[in-house]
Amino acid sequence: MKRDLRLSPQTLMVLDTFLDAPRSWKYGYDISRNTGLRSGTLYPILMRLAERKLLETSWESSEPGVPPRHLYRLTSDGMKFAREHVVRTGKERIVRVALGGVKS
Amino acid sequence: LSSQLRKLASKLLQAVVRRTPGDSQCWGNAMLRELDFVETDWAALWWALGSAAAIFRHSIPREVAAWVGKQSGWLKQETLRSMARKATGLGTGVVISISVSMACIFGLTHVSPFLFPELHLAQMRWAQYMSVLWIPETIFVMAAVALWRRRRAMSVGILVSAITLMTHFMIYVSTHG
Repeated sequence: MKRDLRLSPQTLMVLDTFLDAPRSWKYGYDISRNTGLRSGTLYPILMRLAERKLLETSWESSEPGVPPRHLYRLTSDGMKFAREHVVRTGKERIVRVALGGVKS
Repeated sequence: LSSQLRKLASKLLQAVVRRTPGDSQCWGNAMLRELDFVETDWAALWWALGSAAAIFRHSIPREVAAWVGKQSGWLKQETLRSMARKATGLGTGVVISISVSMACIFGLTHVSPFLFPELHLAQMRWAQYMSVLWIPETIFVMAAVALWRRRRAMSVGILVSAITLMTHFMIYVSTHG
């Protein structure tokens, strides 16, 4: 299942963002800002990662009357997968720069 | 204009999310909530359009797969039903043919001595051929033709029986003279 995940440069960028703080939950819009990916690109990646159990999702508990936000973080399998594919030679970082990602 | 754009973005995404089924709706709500945190109005509009596209990409293949699954299940069921109907028709045709043959034989052996005791039809070869082969075969062919349009399977069952009877008769004649 994990093997058929298409590892596009954008997917690697998302995985890389999660690896910056592996155990902390992230908001979709923050990931979008960090990676420079638009919602139409980012969310299909998040959906695929979640379907393959590489990403866990949660609804943030918020005050009454305020709608909750969706949170994301890598599962332990996801972390292992991300470390295998992203932190290899730093090649992906070059790809990210080439794509105009915000983070260095 | 700015607030109008944001309103439009929000309404657009809300409309898409409302019409999205199940799991995709959960993701849609997540995107809709993030819309409140997008800084500029134009960015909010782009966010909404991108989110709508992402929702469609997620939900449409699932909807199509569910529809195809439903259709193939229905087709399978229909095929089974159709096969069962045909088998029943075929079986009925064979049973009717056997009954007709038995009735003809019974007529020769039990009814004819009672009706025409002096003729001894049961001992006459032409009468035997007539009641065992020609009368049943004629009935089979007529019934098969009559039923061909309305009850094709039953008609086929009767024809199969007719062919079997004829084949049996020919083998019997060729081996017993």
